[in-house]
Amino acid sequence: MTMSTPTLITFIVYLVALLAIGLFFYRRTNNLSDYVLGGRRLGGGTAALSAGASDMSGWLLLGLPGAMYASGMNQVWIAVGLSIGAYLNWQFVAKRLRVYTEVAQDSITVPDYLENRFHDHSKLLRVVSALVILLFFAFYTSSGMVAGATLFQKSFGLEYNTALWIGAAVIVSYTFLGGFLAVSWTDFFQGILMFLALVVVPVVVVTTQGGWSETVAKVADVDPARLDIFHEMTLFGIISLMAWGLGYFGQPHIVVRFMAVRSSREIPKARLVGMTWMVLSLYGAIFTGFAGIAYFSDQPLENSETVFISLSQVLFNPWVAGILLAAILSAIMSTIDSQLLVSSSALTEDFYKAILRPGASQTELVWVGRFTVAAIALIAILLAFDPDSTVLGLVAYAWGGFGAAFGPVIILSLFWKRMTRNGALAGMILGAITVIVWKQMSGGIFDMYEILPGFILCTLGIIVVSRMDRKPSAEIEGEFAEMENGVR
Amino acid sequence: MESALSSATWFWLIAPMTAVVILSLITFFTERR
Repeated sequence: MTMSTPTLITFIVYLVALLAIGLFFYRRTNNLSDYVLGGRRLGGGTAALSAGASDMSGWLLLGLPGAMYASGMNQVWIAVGLSIGAYLNWQFVAKRLRVYTEVAQDSITVPDYLENRFHDHSKLLRVVSALVILLFFAFYTSSGMVAGATLFQKSFGLEYNTALWIGAAVIVSYTFLGGFLAVSWTDFFQGILMFLALVVVPVVVVTTQGGWSETVAKVADVDPARLDIFHEMTLFGIISLMAWGLGYFGQPHIVVRFMAVRSSREIPKARLVGMTWMVLSLYGAIFTGFAGIAYFSDQPLENSETVFISLSQVLFNPWVAGILLAAILSAIMSTIDSQLLVSSSALTEDFYKAILRPGASQTELVWVGRFTVAAIALIAILLAFDPDSTVLGLVAYAWGGFGAAFGPVIILSLFWKRMTRNGALAGMILGAITVIVWKQMSGGIFDMYEILPGFILCTLGIIVVSRMDRKPSAEIEGEFAEMENGVR
Repeated sequence: MESALSSATWFWLIAPMTAVVILSLITFFTERR
């Protein structure tokens, strides 16, 4: 498929607007806290959509509709697990983390927070968590680059390598310039665009099929099993899919949005906006894939993940198709840019400033941050050149890695006063290693999603080692109490 | 035969995801100060 002129124009206007946002915030970024965390200036609504858009990568517009199209209703379980996980994260983690990161010496990254929370002067906690971030984000970012390149390639008929470079150049240039404020604002617009696309497409498809009953009847003609949420599902399988929800508590690019909210009082509003956005978008993706079964019943798609792209192209005029295409790219890019930024802050804050040059000036740090964005993007691009790279496998791996290594550490650090630095360290290492090792095994229990055993072992590691360790100092307990007062 | 989604499918498709939005709405009001 080659690009039509209106589609191309719409698309280019969109890319130019993104760069303009980057340039605008370039002028408003004065220090590292501005660059990495926007100086904690985000309103509830922006924070919510920004967290949602960073969270939902190309998976929302390509992966989930594709899975629904290929298998039907039994794919809904993952969406159920994710919504519950996201809600619990907003409900129990967001406010405490926002307050605690300020109490703990105004921490601006996850490694920064962990070091300050446990008064760790050895830098061990900071370095280990930064290593976990760099390792899993390299794969995560790379998978996004692959998804973006594939989209450019399929929609515009570009060569894969050219598509990869063009997509990467746009993403890197505005993350490079504008930092967190640019990323959060573009995430906000991208979140709105993704949402509109996911509402419009399924409604139009169902209407063209003559209504809901006719759509369901056509799906049943293709395969009645696709109407059944329990088709070929065991309890084990359902638990494994729902376990995706556990991943939320440990995703650095998502929880960093909680730290950036203007005030903890904005959290209830952010939670409501964020959850409404997420659930409606998930329903949009579910029904797009489901109605796609009916729409393409005569001529099934070769690649099920192109169901959203194919529907946009056949059902809408080229101007609208250009916007819908931009929405898909939004989904991919809004995730990559946030991940680049967190990786960059891990290198800048946790290695460069913490170990190499403690006395570095703010200007120097902002520039080191910018260049590390470029360097990390380059590594991700190089990984993406491997033709064997698969998007979903890598996303699941990175999601599981973060969920298991950081999830229990973050939750317990916010709720358990008795938790110690050694407990955090043990849990983090145990969680990360479990995910890496589990992934190499297969058959029986090892077919379970690795996040579940990783999460459990990390939790046990924290509890056992903290209990064996000395009690935290009075100063640490004092800060914990201060956080609890701040939350009330 | 008329095809339709079973009640169990409807339940799991609608109930948990709607519940988290309703809970967010409730806490939006209860946690306001």
